Amino acid sequence: MGKLTYNMRKYWPLYVMALPGTLYFILFKYIPLGGSVIAFQDYSVFKGINGSPWVGFKHFTSLFEYPDFYRVLRNTLVMGFLRVTFMFAVPLILALMINEIRHSLMKKGVQTALYIPHFLSWVIIAGIAFEMTSLSGLVNTVRGWFGLESMLYMQMESYFRPIFVLTGLWKDAGWGTIIYLAALSGINPQLYEAAVVDGASRLKQILYITFPMILPTAAILFLLDIGNFMELGFEQVYNLLTPMTYSVGDIFDTYVFRTGIQQAQYSFATAVGLFQAVVGMVLVIVFNKLSKKYSNGGLW
Amino acid sequence: MRKKLFILLLTVLMVAVLAVGCSSGEEIGQNYNGTNNDSSEGETGEEEIVDIEVWSVNEGFKEIDSGSPLYEFIVDEIGVGVISPYVEWNGGKGYTNQLNMRIAAGEMPDMFLPYNGIEYDLAKNGAIEDLTDLLPEYAPNLWELIPDEVWDTVRTNDPTGEGRIYYIPAIRDYGITGGMIRQDWIDKLGLEMPTTQEEYVDVLRAFKNEDPNGNGMQDEIPTGGRENGRWMDHLFAMYGIAMFEGFPDWDIYDGELTNSAVTQNMRDALEFISELYAEGLIDQETFLNDKQAWDGKINSGLVGSYFHWTETVYDRLPQIEAGTGVKADLPVLPVPKVPGYEGFYSHEPTLGPQWVVKSGMEEEKLMATMKFLDNYANQENWEDMYYGVEGMHHKIIDGKRVLLPEDKSTQQVMDVIKAYNHFSLIDFKSNLLMEAVGEEQMEYVEQGIRNMEENQKYVKVIAGNGMPESVYNDYPDIRSNMIYQEYATKIILGEYPIEKFDEFVDRWYETGGEEVTQRARDWYDKLEK
Amino acid sequence: MMAMSRGEKILQVIIVTTLCLLSIIAIIPVVSVLATSFSSRLPVDMNQVTLWPIGFTFDSWKYMIFRPDLWKSFGITLFTTIIGTILSLLITALMAYPLAKKEFMLGKFLIIAAVITLVLKPPLVPYFLTLREYGLYNNILVLIFPHVLTAFNLIIMRTFFKDFPQELEEAAKVEGCGYFRVFFQLVLPLSKPVLATLGLFYAVVIWNQFQHPVMFIQDPDLFPLQLKIRQFITSESVMPALMAEERPNYNEYTLRATAIIFAITPIIMVYPFIQKYFVKGAMLGAVKD
Repeated sequence: MGKLTYNMRKYWPLYVMALPGTLYFILFKYIPLGGSVIAFQDYSVFKGINGSPWVGFKHFTSLFEYPDFYRVLRNTLVMGFLRVTFMFAVPLILALMINEIRHSLMKKGVQTALYIPHFLSWVIIAGIAFEMTSLSGLVNTVRGWFGLESMLYMQMESYFRPIFVLTGLWKDAGWGTIIYLAALSGINPQLYEAAVVDGASRLKQILYITFPMILPTAAILFLLDIGNFMELGFEQVYNLLTPMTYSVGDIFDTYVFRTGIQQAQYSFATAVGLFQAVVGMVLVIVFNKLSKKYSNGGLW
Repeated sequence: MRKKLFILLLTVLMVAVLAVGCSSGEEIGQNYNGTNNDSSEGETGEEEIVDIEVWSVNEGFKEIDSGSPLYEFIVDEIGVGVISPYVEWNGGKGYTNQLNMRIAAGEMPDMFLPYNGIEYDLAKNGAIEDLTDLLPEYAPNLWELIPDEVWDTVRTNDPTGEGRIYYIPAIRDYGITGGMIRQDWIDKLGLEMPTTQEEYVDVLRAFKNEDPNGNGMQDEIPTGGRENGRWMDHLFAMYGIAMFEGFPDWDIYDGELTNSAVTQNMRDALEFISELYAEGLIDQETFLNDKQAWDGKINSGLVGSYFHWTETVYDRLPQIEAGTGVKADLPVLPVPKVPGYEGFYSHEPTLGPQWVVKSGMEEEKLMATMKFLDNYANQENWEDMYYGVEGMHHKIIDGKRVLLPEDKSTQQVMDVIKAYNHFSLIDFKSNLLMEAVGEEQMEYVEQGIRNMEENQKYVKVIAGNGMPESVYNDYPDIRSNMIYQEYATKIILGEYPIEKFDEFVDRWYETGGEEVTQRARDWYDKLEK
Repeated sequence: MMAMSRGEKILQVIIVTTLCLLSIIAIIPVVSVLATSFSSRLPVDMNQVTLWPIGFTFDSWKYMIFRPDLWKSFGITLFTTIIGTILSLLITALMAYPLAKKEFMLGKFLIIAAVITLVLKPPLVPYFLTLREYGLYNNILVLIFPHVLTAFNLIIMRTFFKDFPQELEEAAKVEGCGYFRVFFQLVLPLSKPVLATLGLFYAVVIWNQFQHPVMFIQDPDLFPLQLKIRQFITSESVMPALMAEERPNYNEYTLRATAIIFAITPIIMVYPFIQKYFVKGAMLGAVKD
């Protein structure tokens, strides 16, 4: 403790700087997070936290004993894996590609176009996906040109996950490039100049300069993303899901919606949230270790 | 103390940031002042008018605040001040959360719509008023309006088991939904109105193959419905299946109250419908149709037969005419006969709870609430309440009130006083429909009224009518019909053979259907006593 | 600009074609919404509109633009977004700076604490009650305060600060500058790309937010734009209104489309303005000599 006081006295401006943010975290994050204890209660809005009965791990047990628990878990893991992989790789590749465009107006145009879908809600994006794959929609019209029979992709189990990935990219891949583009702008131009003098081709420059320079940022983003591995975005899945695809698309978020949120079972919803958070936190810790071991960066 | 300090801190921060430079601040600040003044300074009426806070469905209209036109209108009409803040409905989910948060904060509204079975917890926790003795004495109009047998159901639903009345139900005195069919297509193809299943299928076949809309393309959709297997009840109805807008409901099967989802009737119905699908007599996109898509197909004059509120043809017909130039005729489809089954369109005279009243209110407020309920249930006021405020909801043309188009930016929410919707009575509605429209629209409305009357021949009150949501407590997958929808849609699409239905029945019972059925039967026994 | 080799030209062509194709796909949704907003009621009722308007009309737009309440909400959203973004950047940068410093002993502890807030979400009702205790119910500040710091942005900013050339800071310190002067006069001015990026992130969150307003704002005079827009997006008229005397040439779908475009256009327009900070070497270029 003496060491800390010494450190504080010596570098007091740093502590002053961190103070507002720390206070903020306490007031707006940690104090409300205290409410998570309702996961171990039968919380009732009439009685409040103080008056509601404690029930231990009841809600966790009922989660694990849910007859379709295995199905929900499997779907969540598979789709979480798909999401993390694609949402990590595609924006990175897109950013590298955008970075290569020489024509500056076109560069800006492409960036803006790719970024627009992020602002439309999932109701709209999913609605348009349904429309495009309907019998009179774009996709089936094109199939018709090639003499192929119409297909209703949205009600086919085998297409649900690809559609989940594609619509996810559609909406957010362009948005995801922004941070990389900012990182790319931090690269010292002298590095490229030196490479050109050495006769390195464009492709080599990407591989040996751009990519390694952007990798630490990518690693940080990956670590931040993996913490929400179990939360796939309720809005997206809910809006794409149909009874025909429940078996491959029912995930924790949709499960909690029908059991917890719709029925105002706040304790149960919180318990599932805690479960998801614990899994997320474990993943962050594991990958942070790996990242520190194999690259020199990590979150802490 | 801590709170004050915190706000002070925040304010200092805000001011500091503002000082850094934001020129647009001033103008907006003035804006607030301008409007704050007139809303906070409410008028104090001649006699003392008691205000009550009421929450119900609001699909995006303006709130009712003190002194506003609709507030004054209600004061004139009913003698009570009604305050109704804007609470986002969002399919009921937003409303439920908001209500729960207000309850948690100790600020329950004085009277509100209890959505999604919340009245069960409210009554158990003593949060809502026992209305058993109050209503007959202080709100006789309401008490008389609702039939005794409905009050009996409400008593049965008392979660404390004391047979008390804790909520005011919504009611309907006529069967509102039914199948409909394009009579003009039938005539054009020289066919007869079908009476049996076989004939109905033949008619659908003719709709598909013989180009009734005469455009030379095979674009007709004989029949269909919407996503999750909803709004295609007419295909189930002929098998005697109790169903509410696509959700299987409870009726007597094999002598006992049973959910229609797990009956032999359902098995046979699904088998039949899957044959229709395979033959292309049902919209191939049925289970992908959202409201807009399905309505679009009907409005484009492509659909031969569909299921909905039978009276609302008054809204379809002009659209079909505008889009295709055809004057359509859309009468009720008599439930086609299936050998071995007694078909019907389900009718639910007792709907869910409409109002509950907060307990422990001051005498004055409680009496105001009763006064509101009494006068609002008085049919003499209904027509006025239908037309609302002049200049906002209606205008007067040639001495006749004419509704203005819906406008969320100018109109205040009317649901609170829509007694004619909460208690729908066929006589009042048909009169209203006739009164409300001009010459040009009369032909459409006449079809609507014909349908309302005609449909009553085919409706049946189902045994599970009025059952409280609480029977589903702890079994959300049964309540949400999720398992049913998964199997039903896949069987209809032909992805599952009909034999899978037996697996479904087992799964349904295992995931809570057993328990729910027991509760439902207990409830029914109690009701019958 | 240097001349390109043949291989580079081919690469350039491939990249440009791919990206243009993707851009076209990306704007399909917004084009479709635009088309609906400029279409007449009837074709939309018949669900015929896809990518271009049918029965072109400005009626939905006229309705939307002449709504006074919408402009007021627009003002509230604009105001809170500007103030909120400035405040957010200030607090985030202030905290990220010490976290990037090795000599700051609480760094690791605070980072882990921040990551936990990223993973764990507070339950709805207790969250509501807490913020209500703070006096944020029906308070315009609730549109700002819950968003002024996120762990995600904090960590991103710290990563950028870590890459900041130490030599520069050391040089400044030798000249007698304290941490505060180094931070405000050297680090912040040279961190424009990351400030612009995170500023955009914060602005978009505040602009698009609806959860907090739905929960906390009851006073219609404080409604932000999204709350107004949602009156069109989340509602569904179950029972068609009985015939009005004259029907306007719009319906719930065209109004919904118009409302969406109305709400997203301003925030989309922010992006081109911040792109200028993404010019290659924006940070280091300035430092070079």
